[in-house]
Amino acid sequence: MRRTAVTGIASFLGARVLRRLVEAQGPDAVVAVDVAAPPPTLGVRHRTLDFTEPASDQRLLELLREEEVGTVVHAAFFTNPRRDTGYAHELESIGTLNLLAAAAAAGVQRVVMRSFTAVYGARGHNPNFLTEDHPLRPNPALAWARDKLEAEEHAAAFARRYPDMAVAVLRFAPLFGPGVHNFYTRIFDHRVVPLLMGYDPLVQFLHPEDAATALLAAVESAPTGACNVVPSRPIPLLTALHLASKVPVFVPHPAAAVGADLLWSAGLGAAPGAFVDYVRYPFVADGQRARERLGFTPRYSSRQALDAYVRYRHPHAVEKARSATDEHDHEHEREHGVAAP
Amino acid sequence: MSESAKVVPLAKGKRRRRERPDADEEDLRARVRDLEDEVERLREGTEGPQDAQPATGEGPLVALARLLQGGRDGITWEALARAWSALYFSWHSEDVDEFGYDPKFTRTVMPLFEFLYTMWWRVETAGVENVPGTGPALIVANHSGVLPWDSVMINLAVRHEHPARRETRMLALDMFALLPFLAPALAQSGAVRANPENAERLLRKGELVGVFPEGVKGVGKPFKDRYRLARFGRGGFVRLALRTGAPIVPCAVVGAEEVHPKLASVNWLGRPLGLPYLPITPTFPLLGPLGFVPLPTKWSIDFADPIPMDAHGPEAAEDPILVNRLSEQVRSTIQRMVDSRLARRRSIWFG
Repeated sequence: MRRTAVTGIASFLGARVLRRLVEAQGPDAVVAVDVAAPPPTLGVRHRTLDFTEPASDQRLLELLREEEVGTVVHAAFFTNPRRDTGYAHELESIGTLNLLAAAAAAGVQRVVMRSFTAVYGARGHNPNFLTEDHPLRPNPALAWARDKLEAEEHAAAFARRYPDMAVAVLRFAPLFGPGVHNFYTRIFDHRVVPLLMGYDPLVQFLHPEDAATALLAAVESAPTGACNVVPSRPIPLLTALHLASKVPVFVPHPAAAVGADLLWSAGLGAAPGAFVDYVRYPFVADGQRARERLGFTPRYSSRQALDAYVRYRHPHAVEKARSATDEHDHEHEREHGVAAP
Repeated sequence: MSESAKVVPLAKGKRRRRERPDADEEDLRARVRDLEDEVERLREGTEGPQDAQPATGEGPLVALARLLQGGRDGITWEALARAWSALYFSWHSEDVDEFGYDPKFTRTVMPLFEFLYTMWWRVETAGVENVPGTGPALIVANHSGVLPWDSVMINLAVRHEHPARRETRMLALDMFALLPFLAPALAQSGAVRANPENAERLLRKGELVGVFPEGVKGVGKPFKDRYRLARFGRGGFVRLALRTGAPIVPCAVVGAEEVHPKLASVNWLGRPLGLPYLPITPTFPLLGPLGFVPLPTKWSIDFADPIPMDAHGPEAAEDPILVNRLSEQVRSTIQRMVDSRLARRRSIWFG
């Protein structure tokens, strides 16, 4: 039985899948490869490795051989945009290249890589449901997406060059649900949310439980090629905001991009202006291939994932809303002697 | 709730931006993450996907009243947000279909379109029973009138006159489907951005799909070219029908060409606005917003016998000669129907 290596264990999905793998295969069958240490309670093997170091592929090759790794789960990607784009590029693009080279040389049978549906790029001309064959065309000005795109290109090239090594790429829709904290979910943590005037794209929120299930299914079967992992149904952004009881403020889109860029360069914003595309145009992906190849059917719709997130993150607000309605009903009862309908 | 109360401050601590924390802190952080995960797992184990709760159980007026009543101790954010969302959901559904069709929004705007259908344009239909009552089908029509009124009227014709009261998913041109404000409204009222992927997905779901193969050439036709059908794209709609086996129902709309007579077009001004043309009509831009009011012509919508496509098989979609022949057959059928209507028509306004 060859071991499974997990990279990026400090990322949300990496931590999740590490835990699930330990539960399924036992702590000795899994090795965490990361600069960060795994939770000590897991008792999992840990090898410290920085993918951005010059000879990391050589060290990784030795490590994969020593640990007798058969499967690599590659989750070392930044969900949040970073100001030091150089570091992100080294880790995501070059790190993936190093990892794939080492995996191929070590005779690893399966690589499962985490990717993002955002890599398709949010564009007006996108079809309502992007299939895996659709070209990846993120905004070239967005370093965040460019690095992920390069990682995908490396994965595709290695899959072609090494037919014996299965390289599965899972493109996850934005995660929403208990435990998720990133720049995208943070939109829903404010009372007042700026939104683009005249645009209301459909968006997808993927529940982390569904994400972990799909990732584990990919570790089992590892079909070469890309698979979208998406929730059962998208939701319009404005509807999502209203369901979470936010006050939207509408901003014209040219001003929004400039404003976001200014805030970002001032060190205040959560994301650079090029991300405005993602609240302007849709990047909804189709989950049919994951159903066929991974046997993965999402349990949660976007709305259920959003509900789960709001209940987890803002239980007080949910309670308050509920008690306010109850209070109103009691008042009604006191005044009129009958219960409110 | 006590679990989550514990989690919140811990999660905030994680946000400190430090690249290389010392070993103690790292260990502590790992434990925190561990605990957090444990809490999540506990929560999830008991929860699972839940049926969505309605946003607010109250109407917009009640929410507004509560907002104002709160004025004694200051208007609270919660009350404001709740009033705002109650207002929104008074005319929008909480659940839309996968293309964004919102039945409640459609019901809200329907009276305006009903008025246009019955009173303003007095639409007369013929052959609506040619539209299949169930299963996928493709309504192919001539496009005209600067604004896509014809697409709304075809939708209403099938909805009202057809015994199955089917909903037609109209494919909207990019110039409309990408326009701010119009784009979300179109999606909510059931239109879908026209591209082969969307159309195929709808047909495979068994929907009735309406398409205007003339595209921009049709809808932005100058007034002097009225009722002369432009080229039918590159036959994409035929390939689509062949691949899915959906029958094609040719449909001729007469009356729509005169609602906004386009006398000229200012392209240098339209281009920066993202429009393929900026029309000059007798009322626009002369009368400002009144220029958007369409002229009250008399309309007719004719549906021809469906052309079955399943006989050819899906591989026929790769045969360009057959595709062109079928495309031309559909185009000439529609042109014939338009011509015969025009020959019978004595007045633009009264039919």
